[in-house]
Amino acid sequence: MAPDPLDALRLPIVPVEPRPEFADALGRRIGAERAGRAREPAVPQAATVRYFVDDLDTAISFYCRQLGFQEEVRSPGAFAMLHRDRLRLLLSVPGAAGAGRALPDGTVPAPGGWNRIALQVTDLAATVAALRDAGARFRDDIVTGVGVRQIVLLDPSGNLVELFEPAGYHERPGARTRGGKP
Amino acid sequence: MSTVSVRYIVNDVDEAIAFYCGHLGFTEQMHPDPAFAMLTRGDLRLVLVSPVPPGHPGGGSRPMPDGTKQCPGGWNRFMLEVPDLAGTVDALRREGVSFRNDIVTGVGVKQVLVDDPSGNPVELFEPVRPEARLASR
Repeated sequence: MAPDPLDALRLPIVPVEPRPEFADALGRRIGAERAGRAREPAVPQAATVRYFVDDLDTAISFYCRQLGFQEEVRSPGAFAMLHRDRLRLLLSVPGAAGAGRALPDGTVPAPGGWNRIALQVTDLAATVAALRDAGARFRDDIVTGVGVRQIVLLDPSGNLVELFEPAGYHERPGARTRGGKP
Repeated sequence: MSTVSVRYIVNDVDEAIAFYCGHLGFTEQMHPDPAFAMLTRGDLRLVLVSPVPPGHPGGGSRPMPDGTKQCPGGWNRFMLEVPDLAGTVDALRREGVSFRNDIVTGVGVKQVLVDDPSGNPVELFEPVRPEARLASR
């Protein structure tokens, strides 16, 4: 079939979503382009972790609303890229293209396991209480280890996220006791 | 300075330290207990722990309240950017490192999965698009 001569006049289609996260991401992108940094990553030299999730939208909502991540990229149903400070978190859906595809022997990646990211928070007890109020599930209770207090949070797919605070936090002079999200 | 922490459960911390420092460019920061070590590589702080019994002072690898023990494995992983994936894979294979798959070309990157001695994955990737690059030029 001959190409449509009007194709050259059509603007590239940008899927606009009425979500504030999308608008924020687009705004950052446009700002970066104006500053001549469009080809640079949003978080230079970030450490990157990949998690497998069953449902992409549910996972994005969990990490952005409960844990303070920001969405950078979303490929619906397959992949998303989030960041939080220096951490870039990639969410991949098992069976989807790229990292989600099966191994040569047919094994398909899956969520779960015990390896996890660890996020430092300023008031662990208050953070846990706020997350519980928001419906979050934990794998254990707060435990005190050597130098830190920690707890293991479950994401909606069953992946673990560790939250920790230095164990001497409340004893330090001037330590804030105000609660809040991590 | 390291600002991102990732915890991996390993069967043998000494073996894991040798692997991550010897093959993947990590530096040992501390190893104060046989069941615990902290390594760094760029912005990543890798905490290696082996499973410990309930009364152990280390809090990161005790069993859960329901008795479930923590163990290595799974698919979630940290990723390391390399400039020449094929060359890196060749070199690591010669060093005896095992891989879970062969190089896969995805949307923005070429990638491969290394298995550490406990069977934990580490993803090595080489960007094929500038947006996928981690480090600024």
